[in-house]
Amino acid sequence: MTEAKKEAEKLKKEIIVTGNEKPNVGVYVCHCGVNIAGVISVEDLIEYSKTLPDVTVARDYKFFCADTGQNIIKEDIQAGLVNRVVVAACSPRMHEPTFRLVLKEAGLNQFLFEQANIREHSTWVHMREPEGAYEIAKDHVRMAVAKARELKPLEVKKVSIEPTCLIIGGGISGMNAALDLANGGFKVYLVERTPTIGGHMAQLDKTFPTMDCSACILTPRMVDVARNENIELLTYSEVVEVTGYVGNFEATILKKPHYVDQVKCNGCGICVDYCPVTCGNEFDLGLASRKAIYVPFPQAVPGQFTIDMDKCIKCGICAREDVCEPEAINFEDEPEYLKVKIGTIIIATGWDLYDPTELGQYGFGRYPNVITGLQMERILSSTGPLVGKPARPSDLKDPHSIAFLQCVGSRNFRDGGNQYCSRVCCMYATKQARQYKEKHPEADVYIFYMDIRAFGKGYEEFYESAARNYGINYIRGRIAEVSEDEDKNIVIRAEDTLLQEPIELKVNMFVLSCGLEPRADAGDIASLVRIQRSSDGFFMEAHPKLRPVDTLTAGIFVAGVAQGPKDIPDAVAQAKGAASSAAALMGKGEIELEPFFGSVDMARCIGCGMCVENCAYGAIELIEDRHFGTVASINNALCKGCGACSGNCRCAAIDVIGFTGEQIFEIITKRC
Amino acid sequence: MSEQYKWRYGFFLGCVAPNRYPMIEASIRAVFEHLGAELLELEGASCCPAPGVFRAFHIPSWLVIAARNITIAEELGVSPITGCNGCYGTLRDTWVELEHDKEMKKMVNEHLAKVGREYKGNMEPKHVVQALYLDMGIDYLRDHVKHTFSDLKVAVHYGCHIVKPSDKRPWGGEYENPTFLDEIVELTGAKSIDYKDKFMCCGAGGAVRTAVKEISADFSREKLTNIREAGADIIINCCPFCHLQLDLGQMEANGIYKDIIGEPFKVPVIYLTQLLGLSFGIDPNQLGLIKNHELAGVPPFISIDPFLNIVKEQLI
Amino acid sequence: MTVQTEQETGKNEEWEPKIIAFLCNWCSYAGADLAGVSRIQYPPNIRIVRVPCSGRVNPYFIIKSLTDGWDGVVISGCHPGDCHYISGNLVARRRFAILNELLEFFGIEPDRVNFMWASAAEGERFAVLIRKATEKVKALGPNKKFEKKW
Repeated sequence: MTEAKKEAEKLKKEIIVTGNEKPNVGVYVCHCGVNIAGVISVEDLIEYSKTLPDVTVARDYKFFCADTGQNIIKEDIQAGLVNRVVVAACSPRMHEPTFRLVLKEAGLNQFLFEQANIREHSTWVHMREPEGAYEIAKDHVRMAVAKARELKPLEVKKVSIEPTCLIIGGGISGMNAALDLANGGFKVYLVERTPTIGGHMAQLDKTFPTMDCSACILTPRMVDVARNENIELLTYSEVVEVTGYVGNFEATILKKPHYVDQVKCNGCGICVDYCPVTCGNEFDLGLASRKAIYVPFPQAVPGQFTIDMDKCIKCGICAREDVCEPEAINFEDEPEYLKVKIGTIIIATGWDLYDPTELGQYGFGRYPNVITGLQMERILSSTGPLVGKPARPSDLKDPHSIAFLQCVGSRNFRDGGNQYCSRVCCMYATKQARQYKEKHPEADVYIFYMDIRAFGKGYEEFYESAARNYGINYIRGRIAEVSEDEDKNIVIRAEDTLLQEPIELKVNMFVLSCGLEPRADAGDIASLVRIQRSSDGFFMEAHPKLRPVDTLTAGIFVAGVAQGPKDIPDAVAQAKGAASSAAALMGKGEIELEPFFGSVDMARCIGCGMCVENCAYGAIELIEDRHFGTVASINNALCKGCGACSGNCRCAAIDVIGFTGEQIFEIITKRC
Repeated sequence: MSEQYKWRYGFFLGCVAPNRYPMIEASIRAVFEHLGAELLELEGASCCPAPGVFRAFHIPSWLVIAARNITIAEELGVSPITGCNGCYGTLRDTWVELEHDKEMKKMVNEHLAKVGREYKGNMEPKHVVQALYLDMGIDYLRDHVKHTFSDLKVAVHYGCHIVKPSDKRPWGGEYENPTFLDEIVELTGAKSIDYKDKFMCCGAGGAVRTAVKEISADFSREKLTNIREAGADIIINCCPFCHLQLDLGQMEANGIYKDIIGEPFKVPVIYLTQLLGLSFGIDPNQLGLIKNHELAGVPPFISIDPFLNIVKEQLI
Repeated sequence: MTVQTEQETGKNEEWEPKIIAFLCNWCSYAGADLAGVSRIQYPPNIRIVRVPCSGRVNPYFIIKSLTDGWDGVVISGCHPGDCHYISGNLVARRRFAILNELLEFFGIEPDRVNFMWASAAEGERFAVLIRKATEKVKALGPNKKFEKKW
């Protein structure tokens, strides 16, 4: 708090408002720089406002949200000139909290405020039609004044916040957020769908630009998470229901059956040798196999085994005493449901790789030597199926020439294409090219690109070095199509746009640098916790610039690629940001909620029960009242103030405080 | 509207089909009649005009003449339909451009007013393949298949204007690798085989054939070499100009490049509706497949007897 | 107050419809804000009322709007399945299906009342839908069916 504010606090006198006295409405029209004043005449709007009934004061200022602007309003309140405040400016979603605080600091009940949106809904969308924008501004002011007349003082509702966070997704973002929160003293439930944490980062070999071994920097984190007392790690689990509201959520978590007792199993792995079922290995993206009883990769955390029941033939060999000494196999295992109370939620569910099968001209799925970038990671990886000796799929020979194609599945403006840039592909292709050149300096490596995006710390230097010191050929031009010769080499036809020549190139292996996409079931997750998604399918942040980890739903945060494609440093930074935001909320111990609840006028209620059916939260029930008979009664602890009940009430008996029927009627009527 | 017809179109003939390859026009008429689609005559229709040559010289004139052709169909209240990729390219590109460019549309109508016409843009120009694939649908076509081939290998040639520019075409989805023509061909039991550079231009359009014959013959030579190597029995196309280039052009390639091609090419070139009609059980005479004269210089220039033999063995 | 029967609605070239739009706070109002932030331009015919949920909109509000002289009404909520309050938008949808029939029975053109979905991420879509609704109402002419007699 500034010195000036401290002084003002001392001088503040409380202004008592009952809601039944004559409303004196102050209208404050903001110029918002030129955003509003550049399109309409603020002076005319002030004059118009003065003609509205009950308006005692009408002022304009360049930026009412600024300190000096706020003081203008405060002075009017403290001088007794106004007891209702209307600010005509930006969207209330922007500054309603700011101005409510102004009223509070001036000693007036903060809910006697209404904001007229004359920027986002007027001057910004009718920039070339100033007369139309002005008509809208006039009407919005009139409507805000109409509502202001009917506003009543309200008290905030305080609810306690459960100091527990649910993190959905156990990749690098989820794990970092979990560690920060746990180390800060909060309890964390980390729920991960697969049998191990680590996410996609566990599939990577080296990370750019430092060429750190991914597993080396990841596995210590994984172990930290497993060891941390405050983190309850729930792998092979999914969140199936979330109810409640900020500070007071209840989540139902499904713990899928491992069919292997997670306490008894000591991870010895003898069962793997005996299991007769071999199937595809998701971790190695179809390049290697696993058994029906498995851990996803050797450094998995937790290290206990799981049986994939879809593949298991229940032969029972693994359960034999001489195979599984701890007798951990349990074919009777059942799914278990866990209900937990949590205060905040962080969504860190990560990404799927774009599937290039639909791009028939690149031959993925038809020609064995065409692979995706993630498959290349596994081929290069020392823990991968080729144990660090990269070879091409068709004959397992070392490729002497490799071509990469960038922007596969990204920057695509065709119907249904992903329009965004996936941010990491230029760097990961450069990294993979360098890695291959380190092992085979004589090989020819080509990267076909549209633009090279090397924006991060150390990235440009990394790229320069790749081209200059490692001799990687960067060719600017999209590949038109590829075909295969008798030896399964890939024949590429492209244009070198800088030389303005068509080129034909034969390479041993072709890597498609595929982009990142939201998870296939991101829509289900969004519906589960009721957050929005942006038009590209990733989860939507509350504000693209200033609130990148918040969602529009209070108490729910998002981190990592779940919010949009990004590299590991940015994902970790976001995870820490989300943890910090969650901690800020939970650290206070309680949160103030807007007191907009339903209320029943029992005299009018006829007890028909329609509202009970419409309430999605079960907050209404019919009770027997001594005077009024069967009437509806609302449980404020459950009510969210949506108004679905009052939308149907034909007696106008049930209403929503803050959006009452009277207020809305006043807004609609054009007589004043 | 006659009750027996489920669809009505205005048949835009173009130039190459009626003047050089009338069997293409005949087969389109036969197949559409069989499928219950009425083809109205567009009296007074002119050259589309050509999407390569004419458009390259003067775009406004090209737009006006194309718009005029579309108005003939508009007056009848039907979509103009054509069996030629080039005419399709012209009519459809015009339709899309005039929808978005109000200034051009005004200019076009100023000129058309002089001949008492007005371009409205309310009738969508369609290709014969578009009508078959999108309007009628694969299932409807499948219901009409009476005879199927047991072992016919087809090299399908799409051509250019039917798929490009992709934002002005109705095909949706993947533009670099369309499959709609292959799907129609495979209804007949034939197998559409993959060959190198399947989507390569035939070499006729854009004045290449007119101005630099050897280069256009070189295009055909390359395409035919790839088709021969893939082992196709016949070529199927959906454009009279491509048909001409692959048929007459095949003979030319055999002449000009006889030293490098080895065996002369002799792949029969068949138009899509000719193949489809046979499968529907329509008389091959109606489809222009049977030679009933001894005149020289009349297409087809590459004998289609190998194909007719296959028909005899496999279909009947 | 009487309802005028089948009156010729004068279509005046200068006349612009005035449409009241009830937008749900979580999706549509935010979508309208996004249209503003993105500077997407649309015709200046709507006046926006913020409600917590499209389910809050009582049919009385719509009828009151029409009788008070608004030429058209727009109610916009979240997409089905995405309602911040779980199912408020579905409750609203059902309500308006019935209200539409009632309006037709009264002789009020159903196109005056438009129900739509627009999410917080759909600024462009919001503008397009408003444009469409405005055109529909404009085609119907001014709302002259209600006239105060006293």
